[in-house]
Amino acid sequence: MEPGLSIESGSAIRVAVLPVGGPIPPQCLRDYAALVAAHARVDLASLRPYYSEHQKSPFSHQPWDTGCLRLKFVLGGCVPSPWEDFQSSRKVLAVVGICHLPSSPDLARVAADFLDASRTYPSALASRCFAFCPTDAQLLEQRKDGIIMFPPSDQKSLELHMLTMIQDLAASLLMEFEKWVLRAESTGTILKTPLDSQSSLGSEEVHTLGVPSILTSVIKAKKRRLGRAQKIIGDYCLLAGSPADANAHYTTAIDLARLTGDVFWHAGALEGSVCALVVDRMMGQSDPVLEDEVKYRYYTIIQLYRRATLQDNAQRVSPVSFELEAALKLARYLCRREVAKEVSDLLMGAADGAKALIDASDRLILYIEIARLFGSLGYKRKAAFFSRQVAQLYLQQDNAYAAMSAMQVLTMTTNAYHVQSRKTSKPDHASLKELGASNSNADKAHPQSVVSLFESQWSTLQMVVLREILMSSIRAADPLTSWSAAARLLRSFYPLITPAGQSGLASSLSNSADRLPWGTRCADPCLPFIRLHSLPFHPSQRDIVKRNPHKKEWWIGAGPSGPFIYTPFTKGGTSGTSKQEINWIVGEPVQVMIELANPCSFDLVVESIYLSVHSGNFDAFPVTVNLPPNTSKLVLLSGIPTKVGQVSIPGCIVHSFGVITEHLFKEVDSLLLGAAQGLVLSDPFRCCGSSKFKSVNFPSISIVPPLPLLVANVVGGDGSILLYEGEIRDVLITLTNAGTVPVEEANIALSGKNQDSVISIAHSTWKSALPIKPGGEVTFKVTLRAWHLSLADLEADGSRSPANPRRIAREGINPFLNIHYAGPSAAKGNGEVSLPPGRRLAVPLNICVVQGMCLVRARLLSMEIPARFSEAHLRPVSGKDNTSDESNMLHNDISLLKIDPYKGSWGLRLLELELFNPTDVVFDVDVSVHLDGTSVPEDNTADVACHKTRIDRDYSARVLIPLEHFKLPVLDASFFVKENGSDELLGSQAATIAEKNAKAELNASISNLISKIKVRWHSGRNSSGELNIKDAIQAALQASILDILLPDPLTFSFRLAKDAKPVNDSNHSTDENVGPSAGENVLRCKDPISAHKMTHMEVQIRNNTKEIIQMNLSISCKDVAGENCFEENSATVLWAGVLNDIQLEVPPLQEVVHPFSVYFLVPGDYSLQSSSVIIDATDVLRARAKAESPDEPILCRGSPFHIHVVGTE
Amino acid sequence: MASTACFVIVSKNDIPIYEAEVGSAPKKEDLAYHHQFILHAALDVVQDLAWTTNAMFLRSVDRFNDLVVSVYVTAGHTRFMLLHDSRSEDGIKSFFQEVHELYIKIFLNPLYLPGSRIASSHFDTKVRALARKYL
Repeated sequence: MEPGLSIESGSAIRVAVLPVGGPIPPQCLRDYAALVAAHARVDLASLRPYYSEHQKSPFSHQPWDTGCLRLKFVLGGCVPSPWEDFQSSRKVLAVVGICHLPSSPDLARVAADFLDASRTYPSALASRCFAFCPTDAQLLEQRKDGIIMFPPSDQKSLELHMLTMIQDLAASLLMEFEKWVLRAESTGTILKTPLDSQSSLGSEEVHTLGVPSILTSVIKAKKRRLGRAQKIIGDYCLLAGSPADANAHYTTAIDLARLTGDVFWHAGALEGSVCALVVDRMMGQSDPVLEDEVKYRYYTIIQLYRRATLQDNAQRVSPVSFELEAALKLARYLCRREVAKEVSDLLMGAADGAKALIDASDRLILYIEIARLFGSLGYKRKAAFFSRQVAQLYLQQDNAYAAMSAMQVLTMTTNAYHVQSRKTSKPDHASLKELGASNSNADKAHPQSVVSLFESQWSTLQMVVLREILMSSIRAADPLTSWSAAARLLRSFYPLITPAGQSGLASSLSNSADRLPWGTRCADPCLPFIRLHSLPFHPSQRDIVKRNPHKKEWWIGAGPSGPFIYTPFTKGGTSGTSKQEINWIVGEPVQVMIELANPCSFDLVVESIYLSVHSGNFDAFPVTVNLPPNTSKLVLLSGIPTKVGQVSIPGCIVHSFGVITEHLFKEVDSLLLGAAQGLVLSDPFRCCGSSKFKSVNFPSISIVPPLPLLVANVVGGDGSILLYEGEIRDVLITLTNAGTVPVEEANIALSGKNQDSVISIAHSTWKSALPIKPGGEVTFKVTLRAWHLSLADLEADGSRSPANPRRIAREGINPFLNIHYAGPSAAKGNGEVSLPPGRRLAVPLNICVVQGMCLVRARLLSMEIPARFSEAHLRPVSGKDNTSDESNMLHNDISLLKIDPYKGSWGLRLLELELFNPTDVVFDVDVSVHLDGTSVPEDNTADVACHKTRIDRDYSARVLIPLEHFKLPVLDASFFVKENGSDELLGSQAATIAEKNAKAELNASISNLISKIKVRWHSGRNSSGELNIKDAIQAALQASILDILLPDPLTFSFRLAKDAKPVNDSNHSTDENVGPSAGENVLRCKDPISAHKMTHMEVQIRNNTKEIIQMNLSISCKDVAGENCFEENSATVLWAGVLNDIQLEVPPLQEVVHPFSVYFLVPGDYSLQSSSVIIDATDVLRARAKAESPDEPILCRGSPFHIHVVGTE
Repeated sequence: MASTACFVIVSKNDIPIYEAEVGSAPKKEDLAYHHQFILHAALDVVQDLAWTTNAMFLRSVDRFNDLVVSVYVTAGHTRFMLLHDSRSEDGIKSFFQEVHELYIKIFLNPLYLPGSRIASSHFDTKVRALARKYL
C-alpha cells in the first residue's frame, strides 16, 4: 500500500529526488527539496518551448491550453513496487539528483554517484542532476557530465531557474511517454503482476491443454494481453495529461478485461477511467452527477477487487491492498461532512480489512490513511484512535525512528484526548483563561459552565496516551518530549498514580533533564502546584501618601493617626470596588507570597522559583524551595521593579527537575475551582493539609517613579531600648535616605501610646540637614523617659527575673515617630508642577521598660532611736550628734539630740524608704529634698554626690529622708475634720466650705511636700533616672501626715536672756514678742555657760492655735545622769524665778516669755526642758494630742535645750 | 462463553460519568482502557448519528475488529455506550431502557450536579445486575 493515495494520483508522474555527492546539511536538503517540489504541476502550455514533436503524438486529444502534467516528487526515492506494471503511476519515471557542491567538490564523482543512483530505477525515462551553490571554479568547469549548476543567487531567480529546469524535465518526460506509447501500440508488451507469476499465460499451460481449449485460451490470453496493454497505455495517457485519450483506452481495456474475466485488470482499468473522468472534470466544482458516477464506479471497483482477492485467495500475494486503497480513495474523494456517514462506513470497512493485510507496514499505512481521513472529516476522536493504533504499530518496530514517528503521531492525538502540551494549545488555553476569568468574576457562575471547563475527563485514556508518549519519547531519545509528557502525567494525574509510579515518573523526569542542556525551557509545568497567596505589603509600599498641592502641610490627616496601622474608616467610600490598586516603586524591592504544594510522595526540590513577568519591567529574585512529600509551603518571592508602567504577573517561573517551566496562577485557580465543584480528581492544596481555597486575584499593579526612601535606625541597635523604670535617656535616631531622590521636606510628629515618654525631639538637628541627598543621613536626638510599669505589666512579666532575655516589648504600647517626607516636585513639560506622592515612615520607639529598683516600703520612722545628722546633711536641723564620727568631728557644734521616747525627735521626722534592686546592675541612689521649691544651693548638690547609697543587685537598702520644717504655722481645727468627721464636731453647714478650703490647702501642702522629695539613681555609666515614689510616699505619710505637717499646739524655746536684750524692756512677759522665725536657730547655744555665775534665761512659749490656751508650765533641768536638778535638795544648780506650776495664758498665735535665772554649781552638760499641762483643753488640742478620754490631761512638752556648763578656770 | 462488555455513560459534555466493565471475560488492565479508547472514538459517530433519528436507541454505531459499540441517547444528550461482541440487539435495548430509568432516578436527586460523576454504589449494583440479566 502507498500513503497519500487519491483518485487523481493515477495521473501523477513519480519522480525520485535523490541526494547525491557529499553529505548535504539537513537544512539545505530541505530547501533544495522544497525548491524542486514547488513545481508539482507543470502546465502543458509552458512546455511548448522545450517540446519538439518527433513523430505524430499518440495523445491526439491532449489539451495543450488547459492541461497539465502532475509531478509527484519522492524525496529519497522508493523501493520499486511489484505492482508497477499494473499501475504506471507506481513507477519511478524520472530521477532528480540534488547535490550540495560545497560538500562535494569533485564534480566527476558527483556525476558517477548520480549515475549509480539512477541505475537503481530502471523504469526512469529521464534524469537530471541539480547542483547547488557551486564555486566559481566549479562553474567554469566543463559540463560534460550533464550536471546542472544553480549559481548562487537570490531565492527568486533560483526559483525561476528551477522552474525552467523542471519544465525541461517535464517536456522530455512527455516526449518519452509518446515514444513509449507508440512502441507499446506497435509491438505490445508483456505485462505481469505478482498475481500472474505462476499461472495463466505461461507456455506450459499451452502444452498441457487440449487444442480447442488451447485455441480458446490462446485467444483469451491474447485478448487479455491486449486489454492489459490498453490499460497501461491509458495510464500513460493520463500521465501525459490527456484524460480524453486515456478514457478511450480504458474503455477498450474494460471491455476486453470483462470479456476475458480478468477481474483484477478490469478493476484497474475502471479505476483509471474514474481517474480520467475526475481529472477531466477537475475544473468544475463538486458535481453531484459526477460524484454519483464516481461513487457507483468505485463501489464496482471495490467489488471487483474483492472478487479478485477471493479468486486468488490461495496465493502468496494478495491484492487486498488494492481493495482497501480503492476504499480509501473513494473516501478521500467523498470526504465531506454531509456524507460523513458514508465515509465513516467506508473507513470502518477499510479498518476491518486491516486483519487481512499481511505486511505490517501496509497496515501502518492503512491506519495512517484512515486517521488522516477521519481527521479531515472532523472526527477528531476517531482520528486520534487510529493514530494511536499507528503509534502502536510503530512501537512494535524496534528502532529509534519508528519510536520517533510513534511519538509524533501520539503528540497529534493529544488534542483529541485533551492532554495537549501547552505550547501547542495557545488558543485553547486563552479560551480557558477567559472562562476562568469570567467564572471568578461571576463568583458562582452557572455550574454547567464550570463543568464545561473540565471537558473530556477520560482520565484513563489520557494517562495511557501520556504514558505511551513518554515511552516512545524515551525510546526515541527525545528528552524534552519525555520530560513534558512525564510532567503532564504527574501534574494532572498524580492522584491516580501509585507512590511508586510517582517516584518512577520523578526519576524519568530527572533522567530526561540529565540529557537536556542546562536551562532548557518546557511549556508544560510539572510540580509543584503554585497559587497566589497574598501580596504582603512592604512597609515602604504602604506609606505612600498623596500630596495635596493646595495644602502646605500635606501630612496632616494623611496618615493614620491612631495606634492602628490599618484604620477601617480611611478610604471607606472608595473600597466598594474590591480591586485594589497597588503601587510599586522603581528600585524598591517588593514581595509576593505564594503557596506551593507537593501532593506527591517524593521530595520535590525546586531549584529556583521566581515571579514571571511578561511586561519586562521587573527583576525577580529566585529562591530555592525544598518540599517534602505531601506538603505545602508558603514562600515569599521578591523582586525589584525596574521601569515605570503596568506590571502583570501571570505566574511563576520554576526550575525543577532540571527544566525551566512557567506556572500560571490562573490554571491552578481553575483547577481549584473544579476541585471545589467535585469535578477534578483532587485539590492538591487540600490534600497537603493546606487551608481552604480562596481565590486571590492579582491586583492591578503599576510601577511609579522612584521616591525618596528614608530608613530609620536607632543608633546602638534596632532592638528595643531597654530602660529601667523612670530612666531618662537620649536615643539617637539616624535617618538615611536609601532612595535615589533627595528628601526635600519632612515633618516629624509623635503618635501612638505613651507619647509622654518622649520628652523632647531635636527638631532643629534634622531640619538643618534638609535636603537629605540620596545616601545622606542625619542623626538626631530623642530624649526618652521610661514610664512606670503598671501592676499588670509586672504580672505579665511572669518570672520577674531580671535576667530574662525574653522581654519582648509589647506591641502597641510604644510611641512612634511619624515621619512624613517628600522629594522635590517635578516640573512637567507644560509648565505645571507635578507633585510626586510623599511618604510616611513610622519609626517605632521600641521602649522596653523593665523593672528597676523597686520600693519595698516607705514608712515614717518612729524616731525611737537617736539619729545623727551632720551639718552638711541638714542645715536646719536642731540637734547634733556628738558621738565620735570622723566626718562629723570636723564640725565643732555637735550636740546630742535628745530623743523623746514617746513622741519622737522634735521637729525632725525621718522617712525611711526601703528599696530593693531586683535587676542585675548596681544602683546608686541619692536623695534630695528641695526646700521651698527653690533651687538647691550649689554646695548642697556637691554634698549630695558624696552621699550616694549603693544598692547591689538582689539587695535591698534603706534610704532615709529627713522631713523637717514642713510644719504649718497654725494648728487649725479644720485639719481634724477627717479624723473627727464622725463626731460631727464641726459639722455645721457654714463651716463646711471653710473646711473644704482648709482641706485643699492641706492636700496641696502634702503634694508640695512630696514633690520636694526626689530620689535620683544612677546605674553604670550612662543610665540614670528618677524613682517615681510619689504614691509610695503618699501612702507612707498618709497615716502620720498630720504629725509632720501640723505644728504642736505649743512651741517652747529657751534662750539666754543676754541674747534677748530687747526683750527685757517689755514689762509684762506675756507680750514678749520676739518670736523666732521658723527658720531661725533658736536653740543654738554655741557659747558655753560658765559655772558659778548667774545666767539669765527665758523660756518662750508660742501658741500655734487660734484659741487662747491656759496652761500650767513647769521647767525642768536634768544633768547627764538624768537627775532633776530643780529639786529642793539639788546641789548642782541654784535657781531664781518660778519654775513650777506657772499659770500662763497664751493668746492665739502669740508668744509669751517666762524669764528665770539659773546658777550652775557644777560644770557639765545639762538639758532644760519645759512642759505644760493645758487647762481646759479644747477638742482640737485633744485631737492633736490624740487623747483617748476627755478628762485626760493634755501635756505639751518642748524639746530639750542643751547647755554646756564650763568651769571658771 | 466469555464475553466482553464495557458500559460507559457519557455526559453531554463528553465526560464519562460512569464506567463499568460488565463482561464475564477475565479482566485485563490494558484491555480495559482499550475498550475506553474505542468508546471514546465512537463518540464522533454518535454525535452525527444522534441527530438523524428520533429513536433513542441508535443500535450499533461503530465497530472495531470484532467489538461493536451500541449507543442509547437520552433526551438530555447523555449517551449510554456499550461495547460488546455481537449479541442480541433486543437484550441490549432492554438493558439500555432499564439503565435509563435508573439514570433518571439519579438525575432527580437534588444533590446530584448534572454532568458530574455518578458515584452511587446502588446505581452500580443495579447496572451490573441488569447487565447479568440482559447481556
